[in-house]
Amino acid sequence: MTATMDISLDEDGKLQLEEHEGVGAWPKDRRFTSVGQGAHRLEGLEKVTGKAQYTYDVRLPGQLEARVLRSPHPHARILSIDTSAAEALPGVHAVLHHGNTEPIEWYNGSFVFDPTLRMVGDEVAAVAADSGDIAEDAIRLIRVEYEVLPHVTYFEDALRPDAPHVREGGNLTDEPTVYDRGDADAALQRAHVVVDRKFTTQCAIHNSLEPHGSTASWDGDDLTLWSSTQSVFTIREQVAEALGTSEHRVRVIKHHMGGGFGAKQVAWKNDVIAPLLAKRTGRPVQLMLDREAESLAAGNRPATWQHVRFGADRDGKLVAVWADIHIDAGAYQVGGEASNVSGMYQSLYKCDNVHTEARNIYTNTGPAVAFRAPGHVEAAWAIEQTMDELARKLGLDPVEFRRRNYSEVDQLEGKPYSLPEGLSLSYDKVTEAFGWNTEGRERGAGSKRRGLGFAAHDWIAGSGSPPAYAWAKLNPDGGLDIITGTQDIGTGTRTGLGQIGAEELGIDLADVSVQLGDTALGPYSPVSSGSSTLASIGPAVRGAVNDVREQLLRLAATKMEVAADRLTIADGRISVADGGGESLSIAEVMADVAPANLMGKGVRGPNPDDVAIRTFGAQCVEVEVDTDTGEVTVLRVATAHDIGRIVNPTLVDSQIWGGITQGVGFALHEERVVDDRLGRILNANLEEYHVPTIVDIPEMTHAHVGVPDTRANITGAKGVGEPPLIPTAPAIANAIYDAVGIRVENAPISRQRMLTLLREQTTTTNGNGVTA
Amino acid sequence: MRPFAYERPETIDQALSMLSADGDATRPLAGGTDLLTLIKGEIVEPDLLVDIKRLDGLSDRIEPGPDGTRIGALVTLTQLETDPHIMQTYGALAQAAGKAATPQLRNMATIGGNVLQRPRCWYYRESEIPCWLKGGDTCPARDGQNAYHAIFDESPCVAVHPSDSAAALIALGATVHLRGSDGDRSLPLAELMSPPTEDRRRETTLRPGELITGYTLPPTYGKSVYLKAMDRKAWAFALVGVAAHVTVANGAISDVRLVLGGVANVPRRATAAENLLRGKSPSDDLFRQAAEVALEGATPLKHNAYKIDLTRALIQRALSQATA
Repeated sequence: MTATMDISLDEDGKLQLEEHEGVGAWPKDRRFTSVGQGAHRLEGLEKVTGKAQYTYDVRLPGQLEARVLRSPHPHARILSIDTSAAEALPGVHAVLHHGNTEPIEWYNGSFVFDPTLRMVGDEVAAVAADSGDIAEDAIRLIRVEYEVLPHVTYFEDALRPDAPHVREGGNLTDEPTVYDRGDADAALQRAHVVVDRKFTTQCAIHNSLEPHGSTASWDGDDLTLWSSTQSVFTIREQVAEALGTSEHRVRVIKHHMGGGFGAKQVAWKNDVIAPLLAKRTGRPVQLMLDREAESLAAGNRPATWQHVRFGADRDGKLVAVWADIHIDAGAYQVGGEASNVSGMYQSLYKCDNVHTEARNIYTNTGPAVAFRAPGHVEAAWAIEQTMDELARKLGLDPVEFRRRNYSEVDQLEGKPYSLPEGLSLSYDKVTEAFGWNTEGRERGAGSKRRGLGFAAHDWIAGSGSPPAYAWAKLNPDGGLDIITGTQDIGTGTRTGLGQIGAEELGIDLADVSVQLGDTALGPYSPVSSGSSTLASIGPAVRGAVNDVREQLLRLAATKMEVAADRLTIADGRISVADGGGESLSIAEVMADVAPANLMGKGVRGPNPDDVAIRTFGAQCVEVEVDTDTGEVTVLRVATAHDIGRIVNPTLVDSQIWGGITQGVGFALHEERVVDDRLGRILNANLEEYHVPTIVDIPEMTHAHVGVPDTRANITGAKGVGEPPLIPTAPAIANAIYDAVGIRVENAPISRQRMLTLLREQTTTTNGNGVTA
Repeated sequence: MRPFAYERPETIDQALSMLSADGDATRPLAGGTDLLTLIKGEIVEPDLLVDIKRLDGLSDRIEPGPDGTRIGALVTLTQLETDPHIMQTYGALAQAAGKAATPQLRNMATIGGNVLQRPRCWYYRESEIPCWLKGGDTCPARDGQNAYHAIFDESPCVAVHPSDSAAALIALGATVHLRGSDGDRSLPLAELMSPPTEDRRRETTLRPGELITGYTLPPTYGKSVYLKAMDRKAWAFALVGVAAHVTVANGAISDVRLVLGGVANVPRRATAAENLLRGKSPSDDLFRQAAEVALEGATPLKHNAYKIDLTRALIQRALSQATA
């Protein structure tokens, strides 16, 4: 069926548009042919042969290279800027700064080129030159006189009365966000056991392989912008607004992506500076960030401080969840997906008495931005360790304790979950795959102690949502083009959407092409964030292909002289469902009407309003701790996630391996280090900022939950990009406690921290070692 | 990175005459794994790089002989890691070379340049931060982020030497051979590596224009090991590295060298601990005492007291493995 529209007016006289795919969920007993296969990435060959074009690979005739002069001070005012020597350098085409450009508003009331600088790395000036080397030389020739202002580096210091203000109005971004359900304080008074701890998580850098960057080219008033982004349409909207032009004058292209992890959801200054330089010079301009700039000024996972008080009764029922949360916002609020640290406190476990309050705090450091499961990763560190400790105090297995506090409904909205057993199934599958057995486990020998850890999670956004659109085009030779405006941020979106299209039409994936990542060629699609791309666009693709399919069957029915509803398509051939044996290939039908095409339009239907859609999951971890050297080795991880129907198991596994790997890095060694006197990041590079290497990565097992979420959307699939990272760090911390009896409150669990805690333990227990 | 000239002379004498011309403005280039990072970080800004990688008269060979093993300055870490003779006879060196950096870097890095690496201190490596080692007045690491820094206070600078192999070479009693425009000289590597001073703000006593031509390792009947602790499992500089070289005869330690990396400006020979060990029967208790003695005089900074425990553990483990 074709897509349909419901149009209405709400109470305020505002139009409400609800679009429907025109096709229902795939039946659970359907025999799938393409969906569920571990197909190779459609763009795999291009990538491994180096032919895939990333933003940096764009080379246009006459293209210039740009570099940015960044603030060396965490807080300063530009008193004067002299660019004459830079401009005189041969090969330099333009130098832009606040003194020679119109002010363009940017985040928090600041400007793209702002005379006030609020962090090391803030943009002072930009140069376009014949080569990057010349642009760098020119940057060195710019003379800037700064008035250095007092700064605050650590968010722990930023709320003190004498702390310097990052901007007028103080260092709180907003009023605290407070949530109350029941009376947590009273419940804590009555609780049989209480855990009261203060946890911290560190600032982590995304470190996408591909940095942020843009290549801009003007043709008259029309701008083409290649940007490394998770949202071509968001960039189009924000850049058009910043440049004072219309969206149809801006074309944003993102063909391939070397990772974004949340940091590329919004336009960054490079998306505006490159077009400004291109306009000024009349030449195409490329502006890519280097690794240092990525660390300084392109977003981070904010550091948090979480004071947690949980209480349980004698039977292991959670009676109170209380959390006071501070989050380091950095110098700006850049927008995009919010880092909701409070959310999982309110939803993951059944509890009648919940209090959370959260404060976002400005500091003179790089801005926080969404980072793979923003807020949830930070919250899980505290929640899941607290749950582990409560279980131990109650003498309960940590999985059993969680089962006793199971919620089948979203406690914020009072709605049942679309798959109420999703978390329970995750518990079952992961413990079975891992061989969870806290009694008969290996404890290690000598200084090498082993332990097991468990942690769970929920995730709010993997269900996708409207509006999102796709088109399908059946060619005369039987091949299918799928066209959508979404972008493949490296997860394999092309392939997954291609499989859905192939499945819907009954053809082979090899006969499908997927075109995406271009605002000029594809219909609107939302930002690729929240693990929602497949679940947002997949249904629209199904709808578009279903539209084509119905048109095709009408043609075939006429040719075959049977009713269309008696026809089916499999392996690219159309046949009568209940016998006869006669069949025609799609190409044979289309040949009669060539060169006519069949065109299908697909929309993403609304999410159901009677259920809440979530992605749940759980992980088991085994670690070894060397109590002499503080070395922590993650031996193995098993994971299970309620991600609905698995469209491509290979691509799902890729997300899981990547998520766990980032979780290991977050747990053990990734941390941005800043000198508070200088306000400078000391490890703005990949030498001293330690991401995991291949030998840091444990043995990993993915236990499929394997239940389609047919209420979630018509594909039954939910996103998997973010979930696998959420429980990894606390599961590791819980395993460390199991191994050596030390509760690590502060992430990451570096050698320095582990050895310090082991030393404190030896001192307080007179060398008796394990206290657990 | 600023522009520089590049020359590839044919002979070692030609190279030496270029290098002696104007001090720091001319730099020898072999593997370049340290020098290029210094240039890109604008810590050093040479006018001329003299490529010595294919220099006639500078060896890239490992040559066992009756008086010891000669290792050419151009021998790569990969060669040391995989050479059967080094692996068998001088285990600590093969292990130290093999634990450095990554396979790609080890393929490039030469053992001549390895001991001449500059510190990886993050204050030193940031050109915009003044520091004592770069000619400034004070060391910002002393009261700053110093988790990776020295626990032995030997100079105004608290950076540690990044080389793994240097600790192993010193433990194996390496002699370093040098050639300058004034001629050749040889001295124990432990004497070439020396904490910086007010007038010599670098970690070696190498003279201007002088090249390391190679090393000689004396014959050994002992066993040697190198243990390294990192913040992750690979591709990180040592938090602490310990090289132990022990000969046991008739049930007693007849000869021992114990060298600690990652704890001081240069690899630190634990002479007092060696004296304690010599002549005694190997035992866990003895090794524990040796570790305590080796750490006497340590004055950890705010964030690196953990290195005391780590060094103690690695010393005991290294001695135990070297006497097993």
